[in-house]
Amino acid sequence: MVRLAGVRKRYRGRGEVLAGIDLQIVPGVPVGLVGGNGAGKSTLLRIAAGCASPSAGRVDGRPAVVGYLPQSMPPPARMTVLAYLRHHAAMHGTGAGPAAATAVLDDLDFTGDRAGPLAALSTGNLQKVGLAQALGCAGAGGSQDPPLLVLDEPWTALDAGAAVALERRLAGWVAAGRPLLVADHTGRAGQLPGARTHRLADGVLVEQPAAPRGPEAWATVVLRCPGPAARTLAALPPVACSWDEDGLLGLRVAAAHGDALLAAALAMGCSVVSVGKAG
Amino acid sequence: MSGPLRRTGAAVGYLLALLVGEQRVLLPPVAFLAVLGVLFGGDPGPPPTPWAASALAIYPAAAWVALVVANVEDPVQRAVTVTAAGGRGIVATATVLVALAADLLMVAMAVLLPLVVGRYAYPPATVAMGAVAHLACASAGTAVGLLCARPLVRRVGWSFCLAATVVVVTAVQPWLPPVGAAVRALSSGGAIPVGPALVGLAAAGAAALLSWWVDTRR
Repeated sequence: MVRLAGVRKRYRGRGEVLAGIDLQIVPGVPVGLVGGNGAGKSTLLRIAAGCASPSAGRVDGRPAVVGYLPQSMPPPARMTVLAYLRHHAAMHGTGAGPAAATAVLDDLDFTGDRAGPLAALSTGNLQKVGLAQALGCAGAGGSQDPPLLVLDEPWTALDAGAAVALERRLAGWVAAGRPLLVADHTGRAGQLPGARTHRLADGVLVEQPAAPRGPEAWATVVLRCPGPAARTLAALPPVACSWDEDGLLGLRVAAAHGDALLAAALAMGCSVVSVGKAG
Repeated sequence: MSGPLRRTGAAVGYLLALLVGEQRVLLPPVAFLAVLGVLFGGDPGPPPTPWAASALAIYPAAAWVALVVANVEDPVQRAVTVTAAGGRGIVATATVLVALAADLLMVAMAVLLPLVVGRYAYPPATVAMGAVAHLACASAGTAVGLLCARPLVRRVGWSFCLAATVVVVTAVQPWLPPVGAAVRALSSGGAIPVGPALVGLAAAGAAALLSWWVDTRR
């Protein structure tokens, strides 16, 4: 079990971002992290992953192998996708090579050129490579502690199919008895089986009541709207996540807010293509 | 154990692959080769005296290489690498190992080129002296480069100015152990400068250790 005890982080010029964090990441129980912009979620994740140090407090029980996905990483420009995954698999200490990582690419429906440079990838495909790199650490193994997975907004830039595939992947990760820490504002992490969600505000964590579970809690709405998607989204009530496909705008919204969303969309001149349970 | 040694090896492989993609790292050895060409292309005079000039030139070249190696990754990507490799110590070790490997390559260039051109006799003792003196200067350069790069100096522009200043100021002090002493041994026919080479290697190791220590406080 990974245990953060009294973790504080102070940056020069920014003051104390984390003001005493106590958090346990139990294998098999996904831990979700929510909080406003600049609340310190990414800092907390970096400390949990071990690539930043707390100013005070400690992190105990971190396994030897950690998979980490940062928020929007600038990739090494000239390295190819396969070389990148191969090197990261080797650093994770997987004897088996990048097979676990490339399986994640298959699963997430990666459409880029695997033999091409990372710099040529679209934002979504790059995110899939980052996820494959992080999830690929599962290939490292044997008798040691199960690897820890730390993901910073993993659903960013994923299309609808990949988002669902990632949810399944993470559910499988947790079901295999592995620890998982996710910062996520889309609400999907809270839907993982057994998830516990914490809100980070003013440098401290507050555990959130369990999110409404099950598919009835969420609705997927597909709209055809005049004008650019970004402008439509700005005018609509907040949604958990959105994607833009072939001129259609897909939205995922808490079922309780579905009627208000539809009313606003119709008022804007959008037409409703479909409404369904979130898959 | 997943083997810190194996993971260090993997980190070395990753850094080398990154550097091969970045042609920037080729500039210092190519510039150094040009200096060697000018030095030994004509009649440089009998060894080991001409090596004093190339030993002085390998110092900034090695510092430059170390800067490029240490700054090869953006900080966010570096966080991913550190996590994957299993700690900042492993990445810091891999960084100094790659920089020292580049040093060895440049030392080999400096020692072998005059032999190939071959105007004079190079007895083994003279060759050993040239190699050790170049190694002393190169490893000192690596130390300077590591001290002026991330994570100690975060801005690349500052890194370059600082390293250039340090190199210029220290290279002209004939009494200063690694570089000054090694160059003096070559120019005035002293003993094989083993001491300065050890000082240089220790300085490179200490620079890596300091980078790691400062990094763990971030």
